[in-house]
Order: sequence, then structure tokens, then C-alpha cells
Amino acid sequence: MTGRAVYHRVAAPGLAGLAGSLLVLFAAFAEAQGISVTVTDSNGMPVPEVAVFIDSPGTGSRAAPGTRAVMDQVNERFVPHVLVVQTGTAVDFPNSDIVAHHVYSFSHPNHFKLPMYKGNAHPPVSFEESGIVVLGCNIHDNMLAYIVVVDTPMFAMTDADGTARFTMPVESARVSIWSPRIRDPEERLTVELAEARLQQPVAFRLEKSLRPPHRDGTEALTWSEY
Amino acid sequence: MVRILTAALLAAALASVSAAEEAPARYSYVFGTDVSYVDTSGHPSWVAGSAGKLRYDADSDGLTVSRVFADYRLRIVDTLDLHVAAEAYDDDIGDALDFTQAYLEWRPLNLSPTRYRLRAGAFYPRLSLENRGPAWTSPYTLSSSAINTWIGEEIRVFGAELLVSRRPAELGGAHSFSVFGSAFRHNDPAGGLIAWKGWSVHDRQTRIDDVLPLPPLPQIQPDGWFWRQDPVFIPFQENDGDAGWYAGAEWQYRERLLLRGLRYDNRADPTDVHNGQYAWYTEFDALGLQAGLPGDVGLVAQWLAGETVMGPVIDGAHVVDNAFSSWFVLLTKAVGQQRFSARYERFDVTEDDDVYLDENAEDGRALTVTWLVGITDLVNVAAEWLEIKSYRPAWAYNDLATTRTERQLTLSVQLRFRN
Repeated sequence: MTGRAVYHRVAAPGLAGLAGSLLVLFAAFAEAQGISVTVTDSNGMPVPEVAVFIDSPGTGSRAAPGTRAVMDQVNERFVPHVLVVQTGTAVDFPNSDIVAHHVYSFSHPNHFKLPMYKGNAHPPVSFEESGIVVLGCNIHDNMLAYIVVVDTPMFAMTDADGTARFTMPVESARVSIWSPRIRDPEERLTVELAEARLQQPVAFRLEKSLRPPHRDGTEALTWSEY
Repeated sequence: MVRILTAALLAAALASVSAAEEAPARYSYVFGTDVSYVDTSGHPSWVAGSAGKLRYDADSDGLTVSRVFADYRLRIVDTLDLHVAAEAYDDDIGDALDFTQAYLEWRPLNLSPTRYRLRAGAFYPRLSLENRGPAWTSPYTLSSSAINTWIGEEIRVFGAELLVSRRPAELGGAHSFSVFGSAFRHNDPAGGLIAWKGWSVHDRQTRIDDVLPLPPLPQIQPDGWFWRQDPVFIPFQENDGDAGWYAGAEWQYRERLLLRGLRYDNRADPTDVHNGQYAWYTEFDALGLQAGLPGDVGLVAQWLAGETVMGPVIDGAHVVDNAFSSWFVLLTKAVGQQRFSARYERFDVTEDDDVYLDENAEDGRALTVTWLVGITDLVNVAAEWLEIKSYRPAWAYNDLATTRTERQLTLSVQLRFRN
């Protein structure tokens, strides 16, 4: 029941190898100066699957043309439950189920609807405005997922240790977190980092208890009318 | 009715064939059959015109085709579906093949958090938490609980239902709230079967044009109290021209908890007799709960209680006045391709009238244990043990023991073809 978002960066064929080599060098250079962000709940326990994104001057707000991401539909659930993309990213919505789905979002200004379909029937949807996009299926009321559209290439999901690591060197940073499970007020979910503090780990300690994880349901029962 | 629906289905099938090439998923179907070996011990079955509670008896058990069904959905446009379900049964009731449901469903996508669904046609009320598969199959057991068996026998909506639901973003999308209501006709005799036949546990649904047998009770004979009643029972007809209604509400918390309640009232005129059928004024309340328990065990429970009255008022009471109630608790667990389910239920009918020659009271309990194995996407095998113990004084009218434990073992191969 777990899924993975796959990102395809499209580059001119001749440049791909060079770009890859540069990326490796770059990563090695940045390792020492990366930003580490950890999210813990009100009991001090790490919180996985939180979207973390860093706004910083000069990183570029729009994704490179051709940037793609995938929001799949498997066993009448969206996979992943939370997907973070940069503005301008084209998101594919393949349907891996044997039943048809009817995907839509009413989140302004990124609202859209896809005609009902099976398989990989539609061209991807580009998200041009930052914000939270709540996804639903008009046939299966229980299907719910989120796309977090951000104006920065610096984004990640926290791992099992509640940590996300960023290797791109920046001079200043505004670090934000988001998850549908978090109930703390929005102003507590962003910190500004000046240059002097960039080397220190960033810790978000949530005050309010978390909502249960979305997939905390039972597989033993049927939840939709046929 | 059957001709109209058949014409509609054929038109839909033709339309889907012509539409199939231009767009994906214009239609979807599930075509299935359950081939079973059944072994019973009990009274002769009500399906064969006697009074036993099981669908099968010593004459009809053995190797049998329990059902052949088709469930078909045509997408007329993206937000409008035609949904039909038809069943074929190997018994002497009605046509070989007939519809159980046929309706249009409109799901407007208005890009707002409030969602609307409108159904119009012939369909089941939003009640069962068991029969949630194609053609009203249950993913848990072969036979439905007494409550949902009765819904399948006597209750159908010929009308419209509006559902309004909302999932507030402020609650993190974890909660969904719905209300629904319906106005319908053609369900005026509903209630007669629970009085004269009582509760049952089986997997046969009454099709739209089915004419059901009634137990050979003395009160419906030509010299009996209710001589105007034909010896057969037609649940889906309009007697008095007045519409009935049901309305309910639902709350769901993630995929962990679902609560549903509704009230049904067919508003039938209990003094009306039409086409050899009395109208039965029937109302009931129903509650349903499903929840995920620790250990990934699923719980489904329903409760239903109501009253049905029939005939003129004599000395301040209707000639027939029966209260009925039932509840069940079902536990289910899926392990890989296997599913184990067990259901316990109680049911009763109590007499609130003074007509001693129309004894309809009963009291009973049933236990159902089912093991289902998915062999491939196409084939399941299932084994089910069912035991119903009932006390029904009316069985004495037909020289049957008034207390009886009826048992049924079913071994079934289920085939499911789908697109």
C-alpha cells in the first residue's frame, strides 16, 4: 500500500551525463553545509511524512520545463497521500485500479477535474499556483489526497525519524512544514533562518496532538457503496 | 416493467459498444455466478411454498446454481450513470432473469465541498452495510443477515433519493457527514412477508416482477379472515397512490468508523386491497455501525425495529398489528486471499393485535460462519455454515414443529467476470 513519487528531470540527451556528474560533485560539496529539519509531536516523537519546503532567494520559483510527478490510484486510494511539487510541475494521474475513477479538486486556484477513466488516459495536470490541492474522486467518496504546490525546488518529506535533509547551500532560508495531520496554527509552522543559523538543525516541536494518519483504516471492511 | 428495462439495457449495451472505442471506461460490468453444493436440514422452504426459513430444503438442496447475475454501469456522461443489476435463479418464482435494480445516478461535480447525489429509478434504500458489492453481493458471507435478507425480499425504492454530503477541511478531511432522503411508490405490500412468513437468512433477492409464494396459512384461504389475499405475494406494487419516504444521516470517521441511521415509512393505507394484495402500513428505524477493531478485525452491526399493520380498525386496533425487530453483529478478518467471517443475530415478531387466528409471532437466532478464498481475480471458493433456531407458533398451522433448528452447509464456487 505504499507508493513512491517518481520525478523525471528532462535534459538534452548529450547533457544528461554531465548534469549527473555535476550533481554528484555538488552533493558532496553541500553535505557539510546542509539544512536538517526535524518534526516531533507534542510527546517528542518524530513525525514522518510531513512536507518540508524552504524558500530562499535565488533558488528559482518555477520547476524546469518537463518536470513531472505522479499521483497514482491503487486499491481505491491515492498513492502517495501527500505529494509535494514545485509550481509548474506536470502531475500524471494514472489509474492502476480495475475500476474507473473520476479525479477532481475544488481547491482554488488549482481546481481541475479529469473525465472519468481507467489506465493512463489523460495528459498530466500542471499546477501553476502555490497552495494545497485537495484531491477527491467523484465515485469513491473515501479517496482523499493532497498535492502541496510550492514556489521552490527545495522540498522533501520527513523520513521515519521525522527528518528531512537539504543539501543545497543557501544564504538565508524560510523553512515551512505542512501535513494534513498537523493541527498547530500556521504561524508556528514557519521559521526564518539567518545566515548564522544555517548550520544548526531546525526543529519543529508541535504543541497540539496530531490527527491519526490517513491510512490508519482497516482493510477488513468495504467502505464504499458499489 | 421488465420489457421497458430490458429495452433500456439493450439500448445501453448498444450505446456502450459504439462508445467503447472513443473513450476509456464508458461502461463497466460484473457478470457472476455462484455454483453451490447445498446440504440442509429444516422445514420445507418458503421458496417452495411452505414455511421454512431457509432458501433450500430437502427437495432443492444438492448441486445447484445459486445465482447468475449481471451488474452493469453505463456512463451516459461523466456525472450521469445508468446502473442496472439483474439476477437469474434456479427456482419457480418469476421469470428466469429479471432486474433487481435499475436507476440513474447523477453525481454533479460542482467544485465545492458540498456534494450531491441523486438517484432515480428502482434501487435499495441506503441501509445495508453488508451488501456493498456488485449486484448487492456481500464481501463477507454468502447469505445476508435476517435484516438484509428481509430488505432484499420486501423493500425496494421506486422513486428518487437525494444524498448531500460534506467533508469539512477544518477537520483535516477525517470526517464525512451525510444526510439523505427519498420519496417512493410501489412498496405498499411490504410488511406482509415478515408477518406471514417471518424473518429468513438467505441470498435470494426479490426481482422487480417476482411473485413470491406465501406459506399455506388458513387465514388466507378462501374461507379465512383474509380471503381477499391471493395465495401469492407481490411486494412491489402501488395500492393507494400515496408516496412513502425514508430519510437518514451518516457519519464516517476515516476508514475506521461509520454510523448510519434511517427511518422508513411506506405510508400505505392498511385497509386497501388491490390485485389480491393487502397494503401493509410499515415503518421502521434502522441503525448501522461498522468499525475497524484492533488486530485489523472488521465489525459490522445493524439493528432494525418497526411495526406493520394491516386491515381495518376494530375495537381501536388494526386487525393485524405486528412489531418486528432484529440485530446482528458480524466480525470479519482478511488474511491474504482468505477471509473469515462470523455473524450472530437475533430476530423476533410480536403480536400487538387480538386476532387469535392470525398468529405471526416468532423468536429466533442465527449463527453464520463463512470462509472465503480468492483463488484468482476470476474465481473464489467459499464454505458457509448457517444455523437458525426459531420458535414460530404459526408453523403449527401447517403441521410443522413450532420450534426448529434449521441448518445449511453451502460449498460454493463463485465466478466473477469484469471489464
